Amino acid sequence: MFIDGAGSKDRRRFLKQVLALAGVSFAGRYVTGCADASDGRVIPGDIVGAGSSIGHMIRDGRAIPALTEEIRTGILIIGGGISGLSAARWLHKKGTENVMMVEMGEETGGNSVFGQNKVSAYPWAAHYLPIPDVANTSLIEFLGEIGVITGFVDGVPIYNEYHLCHDPEERLYIDGYWQEGLVPKFGITREDEAQIARFMKQAEDYRAAKGVDGKYAFSIPLDTSSADEQFRKLDQISFRQFLTENGYNAKPLLWYLEYCCKDDYGAGLDSTSAWAGLHYFASRRGKATNANSSAVLTWPEGNGFLMQALRKHNPYPVRTGLAAFNIENTENGVHVDCYDAGRKSTVRIVAEKVLMCTPQNVNKYLLKSVGSERGIYEHVQYAPWVVANITCTGVPEGKGTALCWDNVVYGRQSVGYVFANHQNLVRKNEGVLTWYLPFTEGAPKEARKAIYSKTIEDWKKLVVEDLAYAHPGIEPLITRIDVKVWGHGMIQPVPGYVWGNARSEAMQAIDGRIFFAHSDLSGISIFEEAFSQGVRAAEEVLRT
Amino acid sequence: MVNGAGDGTPVHEKKQGQGLLLFSVFVIATCGLIYELVAGTMASYLLGDSVTQFSTVIGVYLFSMGIGSWLSGQVEGDLLKWFIRIEILVGLVGGCSAPSMFLLFEHVTYFRIVLYSFVVLTGILVGLEIPILMRILKSGIEFKDLVARVFTFDYIGALLASLIFPLLLVPYLGLIRTSLVFGIFNIAVAAYLLYYFEETLRYRRRLLVPILASVFALLAGFVYAERIMSYSETLAFQDKVIYSKSTHYQRMVLTRNNRELKLFLNGNLQFSSLDEYRYHEALVHPGLHALKGSKKVLVLGGGDGLAVREVLRYPDVASVTLVDLDPAMTQLFRSNEMLLELNNRSLLSPKVRVVNDDAFNWVRRDTMRFDFIIIDFPDPSNYSLGKLYSSKFYEELQHVLSDSGIIVVQATSPLIARKSYWCVGHTMEAAGFVIVPYHIYVPSFGEWGYIMGMRNFGWHTGAQLPRGLRFVDKDVMKSMLLFPPDMSEVATEVNKLNNQALVNYFEDEWAPYVH
Repeated sequence: MFIDGAGSKDRRRFLKQVLALAGVSFAGRYVTGCADASDGRVIPGDIVGAGSSIGHMIRDGRAIPALTEEIRTGILIIGGGISGLSAARWLHKKGTENVMMVEMGEETGGNSVFGQNKVSAYPWAAHYLPIPDVANTSLIEFLGEIGVITGFVDGVPIYNEYHLCHDPEERLYIDGYWQEGLVPKFGITREDEAQIARFMKQAEDYRAAKGVDGKYAFSIPLDTSSADEQFRKLDQISFRQFLTENGYNAKPLLWYLEYCCKDDYGAGLDSTSAWAGLHYFASRRGKATNANSSAVLTWPEGNGFLMQALRKHNPYPVRTGLAAFNIENTENGVHVDCYDAGRKSTVRIVAEKVLMCTPQNVNKYLLKSVGSERGIYEHVQYAPWVVANITCTGVPEGKGTALCWDNVVYGRQSVGYVFANHQNLVRKNEGVLTWYLPFTEGAPKEARKAIYSKTIEDWKKLVVEDLAYAHPGIEPLITRIDVKVWGHGMIQPVPGYVWGNARSEAMQAIDGRIFFAHSDLSGISIFEEAFSQGVRAAEEVLRT
Repeated sequence: MVNGAGDGTPVHEKKQGQGLLLFSVFVIATCGLIYELVAGTMASYLLGDSVTQFSTVIGVYLFSMGIGSWLSGQVEGDLLKWFIRIEILVGLVGGCSAPSMFLLFEHVTYFRIVLYSFVVLTGILVGLEIPILMRILKSGIEFKDLVARVFTFDYIGALLASLIFPLLLVPYLGLIRTSLVFGIFNIAVAAYLLYYFEETLRYRRRLLVPILASVFALLAGFVYAERIMSYSETLAFQDKVIYSKSTHYQRMVLTRNNRELKLFLNGNLQFSSLDEYRYHEALVHPGLHALKGSKKVLVLGGGDGLAVREVLRYPDVASVTLVDLDPAMTQLFRSNEMLLELNNRSLLSPKVRVVNDDAFNWVRRDTMRFDFIIIDFPDPSNYSLGKLYSSKFYEELQHVLSDSGIIVVQATSPLIARKSYWCVGHTMEAAGFVIVPYHIYVPSFGEWGYIMGMRNFGWHTGAQLPRGLRFVDKDVMKSMLLFPPDMSEVATEVNKLNNQALVNYFEDEWAPYVH
């Protein structure tokens, strides 16, 4: 609609906007501020990769630069997150040719991007993968290809021990003491203990439960779960309602469950459906010959390790910095117009088929011209996240259990920090802590507005205050704080979303030409879902 | 004033001036003896054998005082000015003696030279003090009174020093601060004399600068003393702490008493010079003597060079690679005279290559093959160390071990930490080694265990041992293999990166002994 007909005035205005946005992001990245550290020292740090600017440009854009380039391809993958990379891998495995990928950011990787400094690599978002169910064959196969699984004994995988999370894994700061494990057990009442045990037992029963169709009630990928109504109806109510109805009111238990929902879904007990909440506890049936079923795989760079393996094996051309902003389904193929941020020009890609590995909040704008009825948009809700990587000279120990991989503080808004160097075989005195803060309270839109208006100095202050709660005196040890703001960090499995019609409809291809894959089409933002979405969509592309 | 009595200074002021000078005698006598005691104590701390050290230090000190007294005869001119100058120097040299010796201990090969240089220099300066002071005083008092009073105050000062030194100063201030405080006293005497006597007016300003600078330096040293030697730490050890340093990786402390030298890393005893030969002979010889022909040896940990010392007893060892994380550790054992004597200069041998790197990473990267690998890490008391006892680590060792090679692991006490010990063995087995567990008695450690590992069992005790061993021989080797029922094999988990079973066993088993 605003392709070639846009007047020169509009074009100028557009360019001005882009330049202004570029300026903002430039300032955000390179102007190191003046945190008013209590010792008068300024902790260096930046807000990195202000990636939302192009996205907002697409949303708000009124005009675009002239078309300067046209590319033809068989299959175009839009979006280089895990679902896009996974789809590319699958197409390649099946011998597909003439595929290309566009990614609006500077690099592919989605929520698995990572950073690196001289102390350690560190994740910018997703940072672990629980060992998968052996029934999840496509993922098991992938882990075998990249050396995470080194062999099998009677069909049970042997995991590479460098990649299994080293002990000690988790600790919780509660009542001034670091206890081992995240389930509160220090200083809680008998009644609390009993409720926790009862809930764990119930979750265990759900893990073993199967529906009338013979499928497990809760599985990963979640679309392989049972269709039995007795389980699916749990999606209609909130997790909180489920807990209330089942007589759970112990504070430590509710805190722990809310922490889990925040950590995995970026959602609170009210914005998580009971089905999704239980899925967290009842879906994991991983097996390993050399680890227990709750083991997780992790790396200093987090899921960046898996992402890089996908990236490395992607044989197709990837154009980064190319933001699709309009899609038209024409007789001569699908026209995808992209803004080339580097050259400030428009590129048109004419593809036979398009695989949209983009979140629904982006699709909403991209598919305006296609005009297809997609009711999904009003159902998706994304949690904003802020992730900070804190470099320290000295690692925070504290009273009780020694520094673990995952370190959580009871009763805080943040979900704690991960010790990024944990998997390094050498313990240095320096470390990088990856600190996570989901915004689960109130309307996500308001939260987004608020977090975009904050400066790096605001974030530094917040991070230091939060860390100092469990680690008084940590501030002088901090040498750097970098922050990444994820406006649309992850889809929230709000009640009614996972098993509502909108989600299954949104997965349907349009016209046999436009296909969809993204973890938000599963409803929970985890690596396994994104990976399997990519495989599913690639299969559909090949079948059509 | 005093030596210019004819200048019309009122008599009461003269008297007061004399009183002050006699008080100076008392102070400097105290200081002088304190320096002597500091030097003697330092010598017995750092070099051991207190009778010899004290005796030689006192002898040299007194002799140097004699030189000073003789030199005083050469001093002419304004005696008061000379005296003030000497006081500043005594304060500076004596005050800095203890901190300087502690700081230089690790850096100089021949520590005795430093020690006796301080003793001689302080002695000479102290020897100058009293004769000059007596010459200053002589015009005001009769000779017999002068000698009587000066020596009275001198000996009172000496008594005071010899009482407060062991009873108050060493326990409450420590050696370094004692030496610094008395340096300041000496300079205070100089400053007060300079202020009190009017004829110093001409050079007051000129001498004020060195006085202030010296006081500032000594005060700075006083503040810094805690970093030279943590005072509280000296109380934590049974013996005298002669060296301590926080490196990037650990806290190293050397202590000594009359009989032995001990090294502690993070508070854990690494060896005692008295019986370390038992530990290191048993670590090296059972495995190494069984290997034929030219051998390449790898030592992981063991930055003290004591295991390497044993390795170098074999002329057919072609090369030794020592990988120790901490450069400060290997440097200390390559440069300090006393420690070089202990490790027989092993780390300076042309056959030895020292690498400062983390053993896990180094082994993963290295492509060389070794015939004998000695793993002499600290006990698995934390999760970082636990990784160096993991099945994954032993698997990596397989890649750098020659086909018929042997590894040996120090594996804590099979008596106190029975599960820990056998956990190490089972972990080695899980990584594909055939194991030979053995143990000995080391008085400083108690029952201590090792485990040899090899691809196929081929170890026997028949080969020739090097000459000059004090502990290991054929029969001892056979006895090492016997495990009484209270140490015999128990079932354990395998120590993996993702369970750190060993650290948990170790914590449980050692907890009753450390808390």
